[in-house]
Amino acid sequence: MMRQLFILFYLLIGMMTPSISIALVIGSDQEEIYIDANFSGEELLVFGAFYSDPSQSRDSKSDILIEVVGPLEDVALRKKDSYFGFWLNSKSVTFRDVPGFYYLSSTSELTNEFLANNQIGLLEKKKSEMIDWSSLTTDWGSVINEKEKKEFYNALIRTKQNDSLYKQVSDEIEIIDGNLFRSYIDIPNTVPVGEYNVNLYLIIDNEVSQEYSYNFMVARVGIEEAIYSFSKNYPFFYGLISLVIAIIIGWSGAEIFKRFRKV
Amino acid sequence: MSIYLPIAELSVNIFLLLSLGGVVGFLSGMFGLGGGFLMTPLLIFIGIPTNVAVATSANQIVASSISGTLGHWRQGLVDFKMGGVLLIGAFFGSILGVWIFSKLVAIGQIDTVISILYFTLLTGIGLSMLIESSQVIRDRIRRKSVKRKIHYHNWAHRLPFKVRFYKSKLYISVIPPIIIGFVIGILSATMGIGGAFILIPAMIYFLGMPTSKVIGTSLFQIIFITAIVTILHATTTFALDAVLAFFLILSSVIGAQVGVLAANKLRGEEIRALLAIIVLGVATKIALDLLVEPNEIFNLSVIRLIF
Repeated sequence: MMRQLFILFYLLIGMMTPSISIALVIGSDQEEIYIDANFSGEELLVFGAFYSDPSQSRDSKSDILIEVVGPLEDVALRKKDSYFGFWLNSKSVTFRDVPGFYYLSSTSELTNEFLANNQIGLLEKKKSEMIDWSSLTTDWGSVINEKEKKEFYNALIRTKQNDSLYKQVSDEIEIIDGNLFRSYIDIPNTVPVGEYNVNLYLIIDNEVSQEYSYNFMVARVGIEEAIYSFSKNYPFFYGLISLVIAIIIGWSGAEIFKRFRKV
Repeated sequence: MSIYLPIAELSVNIFLLLSLGGVVGFLSGMFGLGGGFLMTPLLIFIGIPTNVAVATSANQIVASSISGTLGHWRQGLVDFKMGGVLLIGAFFGSILGVWIFSKLVAIGQIDTVISILYFTLLTGIGLSMLIESSQVIRDRIRRKSVKRKIHYHNWAHRLPFKVRFYKSKLYISVIPPIIIGFVIGILSATMGIGGAFILIPAMIYFLGMPTSKVIGTSLFQIIFITAIVTILHATTTFALDAVLAFFLILSSVIGAQVGVLAANKLRGEEIRALLAIIVLGVATKIALDLLVEPNEIFNLSVIRLIF
């Protein structure tokens, strides 16, 4: 199905008139990722084509950059310290409105300077605010010195990376025929639900030349959605039903095996 | 094949869940225990968040206790009056327990407190089982039989508000059973256990109940306490995962019945010694997690908005 879509897209691009000097066209195989009972993560396909201006010098360098930003969430980051030999949680920092999922992929290594200039990159916008350690976006608690703040900030990114929720790579975009590209993005099973932004950039000689964005949703469906919303809206009845199921299974289990034992 | 758990918000292998439930059920059927003391830590080991593990484990114990109680009830070995008095204390204890639990979640110390509580509980259980089973094995070798007192007279018989418990042939104050119930209620709500391991010795040694009525009565009151804890967690911490509970209940009920059958055919002491070693193994793992410097000293949790 994905392959067919891709071929169809390829044909469409072929039919396009070459009147546009610089173009970035993209497609994606799905607008929604559904979390159902069988959900165990998914691969999101992003593909597209780019044409660079023929009038440009031949040795100008063009790159593709794909950014996926998940829904914002508040997170608490806790640091463990040793107390009498025990490793216990001690200092805690609350970061507000950080993306629950972040993916940045490019066709070649990007410099931090480029990312900072274009406000692309993980928490890049936030980082500029964080230079004055704004308390609006971050509740630092008992963490006061700059060195420790930096340590917490790095740990935030590291722990998210360990959960496969943050990723920055430069070797996952496949280039076909010089101006077609495709990339499979791993969506792990722990992703938060909500709206995701996909931003694509065509970069020529370290300048953003074209930009394109679209959204997709990660949503619970079917029984997963029904159980989740029931547990939030009617917690008492949710607990009661779960209890009744336990009673029925417990009771009938004993009855069935009692007969079985008598035989 | 994996299944997505809607409240834990992650997917786990379905066969891993079923075998976990089956093994814990088997052990609980074989030894007449609820199995919560193994279920909760094992769920945490496979990556289920602590709060979900505790709340869901309580729900699972309801099912396994019902299976167990029915047999004792038919033989008239349940003291409903004593169970009811214990339950009064347990009701208030579990309310306090869930309140403590949600406060600990809020300040981010729940994992540590649960670890320490479990380490203490499992070490106690493991050591006492190991000592007891090795004594039985030694006595068997020496062909000795151990005589026990029928019942003990102690301070529990001197307090006010005395009530007659006909089934247990007791005339004691209601204060000790209410206090015992209260403590078990707190532990049940914070640890996701039935508490039989503490309840049974407390009923024998503090209340002086006859041993024959103790197991049925404790199972009977555990049904209700874990039922209350299940509802309290569903409504206050929102951590009960019904899908997780369903698979654990299904496999543990079957496992428990197989365990009961196996218990009739096998000699108990050796297996009990083996269970003691498993329990001590889990305790050691928990202790190491607390004592060894972790690879990652930071941990992240998403602050969920409850609406």
